[in-house]
Amino acid sequence: MAPNDPIGAPPSRALLTIDRISVSYGQVSALKNASVEVFRGEIVVLIGANGAGKTTLLETALGTHTPSTGSIRFKGKAIEGVPVDRNVRNGICLVPEGRGVFASMTVLDNLLLGAHHNIRNADKHLRRVYEWFPILQKRRDQIARTLSGGERQMLAIGRALMSSPELVMVDEPSIGLAPIVVNDIFNILRMLNREGYTILLSEQNANKALRCAHRGYVLETGTVTLSGTADQLLNDPGVREAYLGA
Amino acid sequence: MEVFIAQVINGLALGSIYVLLVTGFNLLLLVAMIIHFAYPQVVVFSMYIIWLVLGLTGNNLLLGALAGIASSILLNLISAPLFQKVMEKRAEVDINTTMVLSMGIGMIITDVLSHGFNKGHPIAFPETLAGGEAILRVGLISVLPGQVFSLVVGVVAVSSFFLLLYKTRPGRAFRAIAEDPNGARLVGIPLLRTGLESYALSGLLGGIIALLLSVLLGSASPGLGEQVAHKVLAVSIIAGLGNLVGGLVVGLFLGILEAIVQGYISGTWSNVIAFVVMLVIILAKPNGLFGLKL
Repeated sequence: MAPNDPIGAPPSRALLTIDRISVSYGQVSALKNASVEVFRGEIVVLIGANGAGKTTLLETALGTHTPSTGSIRFKGKAIEGVPVDRNVRNGICLVPEGRGVFASMTVLDNLLLGAHHNIRNADKHLRRVYEWFPILQKRRDQIARTLSGGERQMLAIGRALMSSPELVMVDEPSIGLAPIVVNDIFNILRMLNREGYTILLSEQNANKALRCAHRGYVLETGTVTLSGTADQLLNDPGVREAYLGA
Repeated sequence: MEVFIAQVINGLALGSIYVLLVTGFNLLLLVAMIIHFAYPQVVVFSMYIIWLVLGLTGNNLLLGALAGIASSILLNLISAPLFQKVMEKRAEVDINTTMVLSMGIGMIITDVLSHGFNKGHPIAFPETLAGGEAILRVGLISVLPGQVFSLVVGVVAVSSFFLLLYKTRPGRAFRAIAEDPNGARLVGIPLLRTGLESYALSGLLGGIIALLLSVLLGSASPGLGEQVAHKVLAVSIIAGLGNLVGGLVVGLFLGILEAIVQGYISGTWSNVIAFVVMLVIILAKPNGLFGLKL
C-alpha cells in the first residue's frame, strides 16, 4: 500500500481544520493548543498513549465539547459549538471507542440509527453497507450483543457510513481485537478510503496505523508534539522508541 | 365461573390502564431521564378537562376526548423546560431533583383542581359514558359496555405504542437513548428533541388514560392522582424501573388481582391485598421481577 503524498495539496482541499484548540474537563486540561488538519481523500492517524487526548480531540471535532480557545472548521465553515446532530447531518461521524453499538438492538436497528437524519436514503446506504460487510446482512435480525468483537466493529463502522459522511473518525478501532481481526479492520479502512471517504483515526497501535495512513500526528498530554507523513513518523527515532517498541 | 370471567374482563380493563400509566411513566424515565412522580396527576387534570368539555358541549365524547388528550400533551410539554436543566446534563437520571420538581407539579395540579373546579367536590361523569345496560350480569357483578370499550382501547393503545417503539424511527431513537444516552448522542440522535418527543408521546398516552379512567371510574376527585401515583410507582418498581415489558405484565396482573379480590372477597380490601402482594414481591426481589433497565 503506497500512500500518495497529500502534503502538497492546496489549502482549499482541507476538509477539517482544528486550529490551536484547548479543551478542559473542569480543572483538568485535556487538550492544549492542539492543531490537526485533514485533507480530502486522506487517512490521518492520531498516535498517543492512553489519556493523551485522542478521544477528546475526535469528540470535540464531532461537537460534544466546545473548545475554550481555538477554532474548528469543517468544509470551510466554523463548527465549534455546533451540536453533534447538526455535525452528523453535515457529514462528520465518529465510530466510538469500544465499538459503542447498541447491544440490546438488532444489527438492522443499529444500522438504521446511523441514518436517523437521512432515513429516506436509508435503503440505498443499507445496500452499500451490506455489499461491503456481507456478514452484517447475514446477521441483520440478530441482537448486536451476540456479535463477535470484529463484527461489532464492522457494525459500528457500517452504522457510521449510514449517515452518508464525508469525514469518518474512528476512535481506537484495534482495541481489544485479535491481531488477525485488526488486519481486517485496517483493510476495511483502506478500502473505504479508496471509495472516497476521508478518515481520521486514533490509535495506540502505531505500527499498523501508520502503515495504513498517509499522515500522522503524535499527541502527548493534550499537545501535538510531532507531525509528518506516515513514513517520516515510522522512521522517527522518538516515535520508534515510544510507540513502535523499537 | 361467570363471576371469574366477568372479573377477568374487568381486571384486564383496569390492568390495561395501569399498563398505559406505567408505560408513560417509564417512557419519561428512559428517554427524558426524569422520574415523573406526578404523571398520574397530569392524567387526572385531563379527566377534569374532559368533564368540563363534556359539560360545555352537551356530552360530545369526541370533543371531550380530544380536549383531554390536548391538555395532557400540553401540560407535559409545559413542564418539560422545568426539567430541562436536568435534561441537559444527562449523565444519569437525577432522581432527587426531578422527583422534587415532579412532586411540586403534582401538588400544584391537585390544588388547582380543588380550587378551580366544581368547588373542590368530586366530579361525576354522565352515566351514558359507561354505556348504561350491562352486557353480562352475575349477581352484583356486571360487565358494562364502558369496560369493554376501555379494554379494547387500552389493548389498541398498548399495542400501537409497542409497534411505534420497535418499528419506527422515533421508537428506535427512544430505545437507543434508553440503552445508552451518550452513545445515542455520538451517533447523532438529538437528545433534547427526542426527549421532547417522549414528553409529547407520554402526554398522548396520558390523554387516552384520562378518557379510559373517566369511562371506567365514572368520577374523579382532586386526590385521585396521588392514589394512582402510588400504584404506578409500585407497579414500575416491582416490574423493574424502566422495564417496559415488565410493566406490561405486572400492570395486567395488578388489574386482574384487584378485580378478583373485588369479585370474591370485597372491593374495600382490594387495595390492601394488592399492596401486601406487592410488598412480598419487592422483599423477595428488590430489583423488581424483570430487573432494572435504566
